[in-house]
Amino acid sequence: MKGLAHGMGSLLAVDDIVFDYRDKPVLHGITFKVERGSLCGLLGPNASGKTTLLKCINGVLKPRQGHVRVNGENVGAMTRREVARLMAVVPQQMSLAFSFTALQMVVMGRASRLGALSLPSSRDRDEARAAMEELGVEDLAERQFNELSGGEKQLALLARAIFQETPLLLLDEPTSHLDFRNQYRIMDVVSEMTRAKGLSTLVTLHDPNLAARYCTHLVLLREGRLHRSGTREAVFERKTLEEVYGMEVFVQPIPGGPSLVLPGRGVAAL
Amino acid sequence: MREHKLIFALSLLVLAATVALALVLGRYRIAAGALFEILASSVRGGDLDPSLAGSSLVLWSVRLPRVIAAVMVGAALSVSGAVFQSLFRNPLVSPGILGVTSGAGFGATLAFFFAAGSATVVELSAFAWGLIAVTLACQIGRRGGNTVTSLVLSGVIVSALFTAGISFLKYRADPYQQLPAMVFWTMGSFNSIVWADSVRALSIIVPGLVVLYLFRWWLNPISLGDEDAMNLGIDVRRARMIYIVVGTLIVAASVSSCGAIGWVGLVVPHMARIMVGSDHDVLIPFSALLGGTFMLIMDTLARTLPGGEIPVGVLTALLGAPFFAYLLVTGEKRGGWQN
Repeated sequence: MKGLAHGMGSLLAVDDIVFDYRDKPVLHGITFKVERGSLCGLLGPNASGKTTLLKCINGVLKPRQGHVRVNGENVGAMTRREVARLMAVVPQQMSLAFSFTALQMVVMGRASRLGALSLPSSRDRDEARAAMEELGVEDLAERQFNELSGGEKQLALLARAIFQETPLLLLDEPTSHLDFRNQYRIMDVVSEMTRAKGLSTLVTLHDPNLAARYCTHLVLLREGRLHRSGTREAVFERKTLEEVYGMEVFVQPIPGGPSLVLPGRGVAAL
Repeated sequence: MREHKLIFALSLLVLAATVALALVLGRYRIAAGALFEILASSVRGGDLDPSLAGSSLVLWSVRLPRVIAAVMVGAALSVSGAVFQSLFRNPLVSPGILGVTSGAGFGATLAFFFAAGSATVVELSAFAWGLIAVTLACQIGRRGGNTVTSLVLSGVIVSALFTAGISFLKYRADPYQQLPAMVFWTMGSFNSIVWADSVRALSIIVPGLVVLYLFRWWLNPISLGDEDAMNLGIDVRRARMIYIVVGTLIVAASVSSCGAIGWVGLVVPHMARIMVGSDHDVLIPFSALLGGTFMLIMDTLARTLPGGEIPVGVLTALLGAPFFAYLLVTGEKRGGWQN
């Protein structure tokens, strides 16, 4: 019944998530929704619980209280295989213990649709290559994943997530180790894929300017609590950002473009 | 897979050549011509030249079971080594490092001490204690920080514990009836292998290898790490348990038949990774092939080197220890000991 109450518009419903790490509370009752087709940014300072929340959503961590629902179905009651058919995760910067090519990495996106005794077919490999082509990184296919640059790794992992063919896409700080240009390159691709494939995307970000430029919706966390959530237009304003980051900021609207956030003269005691 | 066809074909050729050499070499020399003669006559079903009777006997009842056992044990140790490396995301772990080998050796020795050599009891005990050892190593490692270093150290601890247990049993054992067999287990040798041992070990190792072969591709996502594997849709805990149980089973079957032969499970999969990469689709069958060949070469050396036969475990350790040192030194650059 509760699933129905979340309405037609939202794909992901996070309902009153409480999570403790070794008796230390990390998340205190987080509730929000991700609308279908939206690119939702999860913002907050370090240690605000962004990554923990993402892990509660994909079921890697079990919340002490609360539910995560996708299409009204409780993720906590699903097998890993069922979860992996609903949401794909692009992890934070990773390096592998063993060497795989980028294509072999992308092919692993098929795992949740393979039979226990089957191997990826040559058709699976062709489709994985096609997913890389969509992101314009087919030339990386035969390169060793560990030898790729940070941006190339993120694009390969993004291709893997696309290849997983899920309605929901989760990204954990995809821009955190990237240079200026690559941050925008990755977010361009994320934004384009979300629109072109009709995905719903939840992405944790450090930089509010990236959020301002790309996200349609925002969820703001502060010290493990939901500070505010809503459309970018509703949420992205000076007072809210100052409260979340604990510092003085200026929000400068740019004609015909997104707003620009600049730090104030000093860190305010808010 | 396709690009590795050549290397597979070459390796098969090397294995075939090694098998042929291993069959003719030894203190009882069988001429190459005699080997073909004996094989041909067994295929034809005709009578054998009486002058070849001795060669035929040595070939069928001594050399062949030993060659088969060496190849299968080498394959089992190498494949389980490759599997353990991937499960724990580190090229420096092996059944030996994780305490499986010494646990299984202890189990075999214990069974021999109390049950005086019933082969089934020895095998079951080796398997049970091998599982206990790897479980202990994993548990201590997890509590000790859950890093690769803590896992390897806890494997060292568990190995020391079971080695002490073996020493104690040796100390209390009947020096004429039991001790020689126990010494043999701690060093590892194919010296006393007869058909019954070969068949017994094979009846476990072959099905175990088939299971690991069938499930080989899943080691790719699992070797990315628990979280990533979970996100790709894998029940990591259950999968890990299956691999550990089957891997331990074939190591225990090896230890029961020929004792604790160290280092093969570490060295061979590592060489295999260097040669064909870490895609388990290719790595698992190639580790089996390379491991079988490596073990057969080691065993043939062990029984043909001048100065009398030495336990093959001594030889693999002589080769394996420096190789491990090499991995440690160069692995620092590759981040081998990091998480």
